[in-house]
Amino acid sequence: MTSDSPLAIELVDIWKRFPGVVANAGATLSVKKGTIHAVLGENGAGKSTLMNILSGVYRPDEGQVRINGEQHWFHSPSDALASGIGMVHQEFRLVPSFTVAENIVLGASEKIIRRSFIEKEVEQIAQQFGLAIDPTRPVWQLSMGERQRVEILKTLWRKAQILILDEPTAVLTPAEADELGNVLRKIAEDGRTVVFISHKLHEVTAFCDEATVLRGGKTVASSLKVEEVNESDLAGLMVGSSPMISERPPYQEPGEAMLTIEGLGTLDDRFLPAVKNLNLTIKSGEIVGIAGVSGNGQREMAQAIAGLRPITSGKVTISGKDLTNAPPSERFTAGLGYVPEDRLGVGLAPRLTVTENAILRSYKNLRKSIFLVSEQAVNYCKEIIERFGVRTGPIDEPIAGLSGGNLQRLLVGRELSGNPKVVLAAQPTRGLDIQGVKAIQDLLIDERTEGAAVLLISEDLDELLTLSDRLLVMHEGEIVKEFDPTTAHRHDIGAAMAGKRDES
Amino acid sequence: MKRLVLVRREQPLRGGQPLSFLIGLVVALLAGILLLVASGHNPIEIYERLFNSSVGSSNAWAKTLNRAVPLGLAGLAVAVAGSMGLWNIGAEGQILAGAMMAAWIAQIGEGWASPLLIPLMLIASILGGALLASGPGIARAQIGVNEIITTLMLNEVALRLLQWLIHGPWKDPESRGFPLAPLLADEARLPKLFGRAHWGVIIAFLVIAFFGFIVSRTTWGYELKVAGSSGATARYAGISLNKKIITVMVLSGGIAGLAGGIELSGTSDRIVEGVSGGYGFAGIIVAALALMRPSGVAAVALIFGAVQVGGLSIQTLGVSSSVSTILQALILFGAIGAGVFNRYSLKSVKREKKGGST
Repeated sequence: MTSDSPLAIELVDIWKRFPGVVANAGATLSVKKGTIHAVLGENGAGKSTLMNILSGVYRPDEGQVRINGEQHWFHSPSDALASGIGMVHQEFRLVPSFTVAENIVLGASEKIIRRSFIEKEVEQIAQQFGLAIDPTRPVWQLSMGERQRVEILKTLWRKAQILILDEPTAVLTPAEADELGNVLRKIAEDGRTVVFISHKLHEVTAFCDEATVLRGGKTVASSLKVEEVNESDLAGLMVGSSPMISERPPYQEPGEAMLTIEGLGTLDDRFLPAVKNLNLTIKSGEIVGIAGVSGNGQREMAQAIAGLRPITSGKVTISGKDLTNAPPSERFTAGLGYVPEDRLGVGLAPRLTVTENAILRSYKNLRKSIFLVSEQAVNYCKEIIERFGVRTGPIDEPIAGLSGGNLQRLLVGRELSGNPKVVLAAQPTRGLDIQGVKAIQDLLIDERTEGAAVLLISEDLDELLTLSDRLLVMHEGEIVKEFDPTTAHRHDIGAAMAGKRDES
Repeated sequence: MKRLVLVRREQPLRGGQPLSFLIGLVVALLAGILLLVASGHNPIEIYERLFNSSVGSSNAWAKTLNRAVPLGLAGLAVAVAGSMGLWNIGAEGQILAGAMMAAWIAQIGEGWASPLLIPLMLIASILGGALLASGPGIARAQIGVNEIITTLMLNEVALRLLQWLIHGPWKDPESRGFPLAPLLADEARLPKLFGRAHWGVIIAFLVIAFFGFIVSRTTWGYELKVAGSSGATARYAGISLNKKIITVMVLSGGIAGLAGGIELSGTSDRIVEGVSGGYGFAGIIVAALALMRPSGVAAVALIFGAVQVGGLSIQTLGVSSSVSTILQALILFGAIGAGVFNRYSLKSVKREKKGGST
């Protein structure tokens, strides 16, 4: 691998728009042959879209895809594979009851399957790259790490010269991840090219030769030599600036403690500790921001506070009331407004109407014996629409027709309509257009002015720096450092996000 | 090259339903002309019979309404479960269970007066269907067993039980060897409304209206719809799902059971193997065409019933049963399926050229 290696992949000025979202806005990527190249970025930065374009799943609206200097226009993943591009997806695409060899040959255009011949071929490739696996074993018997090897073998067996791995270490144990690093190195040394998507910084610095950072669909740093950068720089690049509109609210003396979290612990979806012994107090009239590379327990912490994830240890109190084991509805009544990260899957019911969504939190107050009083529901909905400037069609139509910004206004408006004491907002502005971002940020500032305690979890460092009165950095389920947003340096915050602890 | 794709409308067309119904019906009838001519029939004669026999006289209306009763109730059973995102594929078995329970009460209550006996039979039929559906409901709520599989399998259980009864303990001694239960006593038969139409029409209409109202107007129905839209959203709103799943499955089974009781007492008058008439499965189609809305079930069931009655009648003119079935399907999906254009529009897009690198 030298700096004058020819380019294996060139993606030039790629644009891809989906209804309501621009996923790639002029992204570029250049990868040298025989290297391991990291593509970094937060959720929603456009990594997956860009890789799906490279592997033929999507077609770009604009831009060029050049492989080994030759321009290509892929129509399907098999098209891309024919040009030597193979992708290992995050979700494995294997048939559990088939053997390793059968899965590898599945979908290839072999007319006659010569089982023993293929098994021998697979074994040979496996040995060459150190992918120990028995080709005759059925896939259901394999661990996640072994299944991933099958996926890698699948692309190698089909003679892929370019391998794309979408967050390959997400399903692996640390030891398996190290092993994967060795395999990738061997693949690169064989003259093939590896594109490695991740947001785990230490893996990038450990395995990769170069890194490209995406943010908001654009390339913000291209082909950085990994030897020459450190994790803090990369973290800083990933969460850099988006156009800031809202202005820093004037200082106000915070009041009494509203939200108190003591020794909070909770588990992630795989039942591994996600948040460990977390302590946090938020006072009336302040916004506390949580920064961190995604996947460090922010999501689980928010769900635990909101009552959607069981709390394994510790205590959650809202203005003196212990809510550790209370159901979500009781927390709302006690004064917790929650804007979940997953708007359409958790915060809103997509098939129901605007009105039905507006009353989701308070429908029990809008009833007369067993009946829902529709005039009251409609009035309640109209109030939210008016107060929070939601633009909707007819309110008795499903919300599916609303734009992303208006969906979020409806959701945030509903959560704020009860004048909550504590507002918990997880990624409230992600994916919104500029107007939407400003509207939501201003609402949070208004809540602060009116004396609510606001906990803001965001991947946008500028948003955090502008809105927060205090900024906390989370790493591996713990708060590692606190910053004063008026004086903090980006570089220091980046270092804390990469896990550098508060020495003092 | 161009091709047509369906594009979701941002807002559904308002008031497009009657129009799409008429256009769809006309298109289906035009397509049906081709089918009839190709199979050697006079389309005008066939269509005239189709119309007259299903909605052309009070006698025809009676037949159509009697058929719409079990179709509507079975459709309602599926739609009530469907509002919460549950699939009750077991309405067929629940109808059988309801019919058997009603027949059992009719035996016990021999000689009782109709005003006492018939309500008891119908209540028993509700309990029978509810009982059969409660197992799948509990299994789904407590340990997450897929209700599609369990309700489907219980159909077979109910059918075997019925076969055993009519081959064994309930076999009519005067049936000359046929597996039939004895005819119901006159007191156990639903009184007639007009012609051959029985009171089940009124009962079914009230039950459908009741559930349509419950689902659209109560907080309970609201919670049902939230849970049906997304389980995570329901938990977020503080709606507990487990109890609701069981309640909904029991109600759904009870409605289907009632269809069995009414069908026995109003139409078939005795337990035979075909007493459920396939209505349980047709109910899935009814519910799907009503877009899983309990309030939409009545209209769909009425159209469905009319098409079935007409389709049977044209077979006496020599139309083969397969041609008749195709024609029924054409009309049904033409008339009701055209409603899809209220929510989607047709758009022609340019097909991209196939090929690899350029």
